[in-house]
Amino acid sequence: MKTYDKGDVLPEDYKELLLNLMAFQADSEYAGAQRVAENHQYAPRPEEAYRLSKKVMEEMGHGYYVWNLMRDLGVDVDARIAELAAHPDNPDPKKVKVINGFRKENWSTFFHRWEDVALFSTVVTPAAVAFLGQYRECSYLPWARVNVRIHKEEYGHLAFGVWASKRCLEFGGDEARDYMESRIPVFMQMGLGFYGRPSAGQGKSEMFDKYFDYGIKVKKPEELQQEYLEILESRLTGELGFKVPEGVEADYDMRIGYEADEESAA
Amino acid sequence: MMGDFPNHLFEDNRKRLAEFGFRPLAAGDFPTDWAAMWEKLKADFACFRDGGPAYKALPADQRAAAQRYMERRLVADRRLIACERCHGEMLRQGMDNELVELYAAARESYEEAVEAFGAAREKLEALLDA
Repeated sequence: MKTYDKGDVLPEDYKELLLNLMAFQADSEYAGAQRVAENHQYAPRPEEAYRLSKKVMEEMGHGYYVWNLMRDLGVDVDARIAELAAHPDNPDPKKVKVINGFRKENWSTFFHRWEDVALFSTVVTPAAVAFLGQYRECSYLPWARVNVRIHKEEYGHLAFGVWASKRCLEFGGDEARDYMESRIPVFMQMGLGFYGRPSAGQGKSEMFDKYFDYGIKVKKPEELQQEYLEILESRLTGELGFKVPEGVEADYDMRIGYEADEESAA
Repeated sequence: MMGDFPNHLFEDNRKRLAEFGFRPLAAGDFPTDWAAMWEKLKADFACFRDGGPAYKALPADQRAAAQRYMERRLVADRRLIACERCHGEMLRQGMDNELVELYAAARESYEEAVEAFGAAREKLEALLDA
């Protein structure tokens, strides 16, 4: 795999594909911080509120780190931050690339109480851990290095989810456990759809092969899904005593595979 | 101060924290109204889910641990403001490496403070459960 470092001349089509994914990551990390901040309304106790606030600051930081690399590649990132800051509820898709799941109109439908916030970090975040983890080995080395740091912190968000879920069970007892059990499949649909459509067969992603050939994406959606399920099972079953539900279908419309504007080949 | 933010992000963040006693502290401020602070924080403890004693009614060792827990919270509050300021500067001045590094340092410092707040809560909880 050919790699590129800071200051190297990038082939035009490589640069275009790379910036597409970087823009989705950076813009969505910041939009994600805005969504997480909105979830403060559900924080039932002080430590929950403080830990959620810490998560907001981390997600914002992820956006800054990736935007800073895009700045080196000639992108006007200040315009992107300004757009998201000025229009948090409905940023212009021509100016920023926010994944469907982190748009307010979609995000807000998933959250009704604090248990949903805890479950998001427990059930969906393992997908982010797996998905973003692949960028640590991508062909654009500055981005790979930043994603080493981001990946480590995504693991921290997963730990937050497990911690918050345990507290929900501690304070809420059987009622909380029943509610959470009923909501796990909803969040799992989002987690399963995180990486985009399969790399082969009917409904395959048209764009995947290009990203894969350039080493911008280094794992196939099927591999990432397997990683996701392994992490999910260890947390959900091992640490919280829930079962991983069977027969849950991926929701690709909420996916955050950073290809939300592409057409499937179906 | 609440209306000074360049976007809603920090207002949402702060609104809920304020319900648990967060307030923007100026340099040199060191609140010591522990009893009032305790009333807003004691819901953090599972054993007090139906109320819980007033700060002054806690035995001395628990009261001392409760004060340390609240002091940790004050540290976190100060460091949160540093993160917000960096973000505001980034919007006003435009992004550069130095501001990103400043934000990273402020953010890490805030995260450490929140972790320490959590650890202090666990220490007090162990005393309450003993």
